[in-house]
Amino acid sequence: MAGSDASQLTRTHGSEDMVIEDSLSVWWLLLAGPLWAAIGLYALPRSQGKIKRDERIDVSRLQIAGLIGGFALGPLGIGLFFLLPDLIRRATLILGILIAVFISSQVLVRVSDPNVPSVIWLVLAGPLWAALGSYFIPRHYHDVDADDINALTAAALGGFTIGPLIFGLMWKHTPKISRDWMIALGSLGAWQIYTLFAIQNPSNPCVQTPFQVTYLAQQTANGVVIGCIYSLMAVGLTLIYSVQGIVSFAHGQLYMVGGYFSFYFLIHAGNILSELTGTEITVNPIWGIPVAGFIVFLMGAAFERSFLKPMHDGLIERASEYAILITFGFGFVIEYTTLAIAGPFPQRANRFIEIRRFTFPRTQITEDFSFGPLNIIGDRAFAMVVGIVLIFALLYFLQRTWTGRGLRATSQDKQAAAVTGINPTNMNTLAFALGSMLAAMSGAALIPIFAWVPWVGAEMVGRSYVIVVLGGLGSVPGALFGGIIVGIVEALGAGCHPDPSRGAAYKEAFALLIFALVLLLKPTGLFGREPN
Amino acid sequence: MKGKSTLASLVVLLALVALLPFSVIHADGHCEFADEAIKIGGLVPLSAPGSVAGGVAMSWAFNRAVDDINADCGVQIGDQNHRLQIVIGDSEGSPERGQAVVERFILEDEVHAVSGVYHSAVGLATMGILDANGIPTVFSEPWNDNVSANGIMEYDGRPPRNADGVDHIFRISPASSMVGGVVVDWLLAEGVDNVVIIAENTDYGQPAAADEKARFEAAGATVTQINVELGTEDFVPILSRIQASATVPDVVRILVTGETSYNLTQQMAELGIAPTVDTICVTNQFAFQSEQYWENVPDGNYCTFNRVGIIPSLFSDIAVGLNEDYFEEFEDIIPSFAMASYDALHILADGMERAGTISDGAAIAAAIETTDLELSQGRYYFNYGNHNDSMPADDGMPNYLWHQWPDPVVTMMQYFEQGQSSLDAAVIFPEVYQTHGTGYMAPGEMP
Repeated sequence: MAGSDASQLTRTHGSEDMVIEDSLSVWWLLLAGPLWAAIGLYALPRSQGKIKRDERIDVSRLQIAGLIGGFALGPLGIGLFFLLPDLIRRATLILGILIAVFISSQVLVRVSDPNVPSVIWLVLAGPLWAALGSYFIPRHYHDVDADDINALTAAALGGFTIGPLIFGLMWKHTPKISRDWMIALGSLGAWQIYTLFAIQNPSNPCVQTPFQVTYLAQQTANGVVIGCIYSLMAVGLTLIYSVQGIVSFAHGQLYMVGGYFSFYFLIHAGNILSELTGTEITVNPIWGIPVAGFIVFLMGAAFERSFLKPMHDGLIERASEYAILITFGFGFVIEYTTLAIAGPFPQRANRFIEIRRFTFPRTQITEDFSFGPLNIIGDRAFAMVVGIVLIFALLYFLQRTWTGRGLRATSQDKQAAAVTGINPTNMNTLAFALGSMLAAMSGAALIPIFAWVPWVGAEMVGRSYVIVVLGGLGSVPGALFGGIIVGIVEALGAGCHPDPSRGAAYKEAFALLIFALVLLLKPTGLFGREPN
Repeated sequence: MKGKSTLASLVVLLALVALLPFSVIHADGHCEFADEAIKIGGLVPLSAPGSVAGGVAMSWAFNRAVDDINADCGVQIGDQNHRLQIVIGDSEGSPERGQAVVERFILEDEVHAVSGVYHSAVGLATMGILDANGIPTVFSEPWNDNVSANGIMEYDGRPPRNADGVDHIFRISPASSMVGGVVVDWLLAEGVDNVVIIAENTDYGQPAAADEKARFEAAGATVTQINVELGTEDFVPILSRIQASATVPDVVRILVTGETSYNLTQQMAELGIAPTVDTICVTNQFAFQSEQYWENVPDGNYCTFNRVGIIPSLFSDIAVGLNEDYFEEFEDIIPSFAMASYDALHILADGMERAGTISDGAAIAAAIETTDLELSQGRYYFNYGNHNDSMPADDGMPNYLWHQWPDPVVTMMQYFEQGQSSLDAAVIFPEVYQTHGTGYMAPGEMP
């Protein structure tokens, strides 16, 4: 077909005309390949119906073989694997690599012009190598009895970043995958994505040199500041989960009501002090934080004793469902009671500090490069400090006090903890009360920053669930780092999105994307306990 | 046993004594009401994600209108006076929920008319149901142009929506384009060239942004549009992006409602983006609620905002009375949507009286078309309807003027002192309404 006018694609790039020869096989692969792959995926696992159970091949392996064999060789591949099942393992790997090489080369051919850089290959063919690597390499590790911890993650990252080379690196020597491997591959992947992004969006503020350093630093600072605040709320949620094994669906409302307790305390305390002294006194919102925390601590303890203790005592038949419903109901009661009392109009407490924003001034680093200015809103910086102090106080409490150790012991094994003299019932109550208190304190820390309404917790609590799973359910450091990661990802996502009109609207989706990736590559979360 | 029956008799007697004053008012009042009350469905958002503050204000206005109308002997049909009764339904700001509430209004509550609706999406979703069921409706707050223009668009340029020749939907809030026209005219007169529009992703924000963007671009201005979700709290990343752009914008226009707009405006001010000497801040009509505004946007001095409704210095007696009662209840200035909701019930009641029926939707709609009433926001009338042979397009007018009150007053206002009441804020545009003899004031300037 080469040379035929009908089979030529002509594309114009500026003044340069480029002719790419068409290939029938490409279209066959694209059009008929998926069809045969679907047939193979369906038919091959069903082909061993009459084979003895102990001689059967693993269904997932047959599915992959049918998929790859059908895609690469059509009916021939399916027939080959049907007749010669012993070939499946090796032939599937070879065919998979051939397909990846073929598609990669086609992609390279089609994008090999000066205007479209070859790095796009990484995006188009990278996921294919990642899929192949993450399927075959961990199985190979398992077959040769090598240490396969992190093999899946490394194979996926390696496939994405260095394509077929990952097979060369990991197949023969099956090296143990250390954290350094992961950091190196992850950094390489991030760099490649950034490079590709920079080439595709040269006018984006995140890539415009030398300006981008300041801008990226600004967005990272924005993310860290708000991330620390996210963390404080998520820490409470993870504490409750780690000890009680339940997810509190009232957490957002406890966060909200903490803000309101602080707000009304500040008003009334200000009024009382003003009356006593005869001069108008405004109470700093910092005092509202412990007050709100204390009140909600008591609320949480009372709720736990009244409604959750029966569940732990075995008096409730379907405990998991009960926990969801009862905390959900508790949240509802709090939200609508607050709405009835406080009304729907947004409220906001006074500032923590009378500095509107901290500005790091522009600094000339070299003749060609300057850094700054960086702006951080004053109250946010203050709330961030409050969040960090509270999280470290919690960590100190958990690590260095007898009660904190008791909480940790209860989270690991309730019965063993009870044997050592720890009262699990009290620990359950303490965990729920402490978690609720942390939510309330984060609310009290944020009411000078955001307009406060009775449904303000809805957005924040959704993000908290993402953070605790991202960081690892039950891990306090995980919640801290998870919050910061979510904050940074949201800030960079909104700030760097190619279409500025969409960046802010997709803000939460960026965090969910990272969340999905982490769950795919490390299902226990970043700091979660590995299953025994 | 005897003791028990004596006790029961005593309780009944006490109850009767307690109820006596009410029965006296009912029987002894200056009005005698027919058995059948007129039920008006009030569709408002009373739960998140809807604008609950808006819904509460509208509910209050409905109840106030009902009280006033009933105190004036209700709606007189023939020789009978009918008591007005409001049935409030919570739309939650959601089109699906709004449709369900409207169906409940029609099937269970058997309302005679409907008013309210805060969110455009709810208006657009419910108007078809209301119209198909012949329910006379006066919307008091949705702004989307199509709420009124749909009567024409859906029927190929020919009124009305229904085969029987009746369109039951009216609107007394402004169409987005009416507001956008004033805002853009003013900004262009101020010489802006580089515009940033931040718009919510709703049936209000997106069409309004598209309309204003088109007007700016037609005048040669450069427009950057940023879309945000309602309920977002943290806007700093996207505001940092605006701050980092190569050219400083001449204006940041906010088309976002509720507490989200407060967060956005405050964060914009905190970062020093607007209002500044170089950049005008144009926030939305929520800024008129000065108590709420200053509590939530303490750094928002010198922000301008569009205001719908008659300016406070020109308040009629009805508006002054309403505003006083509203202030007593909520400690803030009455918003336009509360005034419009109050007026909407009067328009419906007046339509029923003139039509001489409470159940014939077609007759009531025909009567509403010829409304001529002076209420809290001014004189109400409708130019385009079945009473007028001309379509808006025949007169070179936009389609949204169909069944649309054409005279909502739209002004631009500006605070120039921290904590200032909106009653004292300056009306800066149109010039004819200027209250302080000045146009826009850059930060630091005074009238």
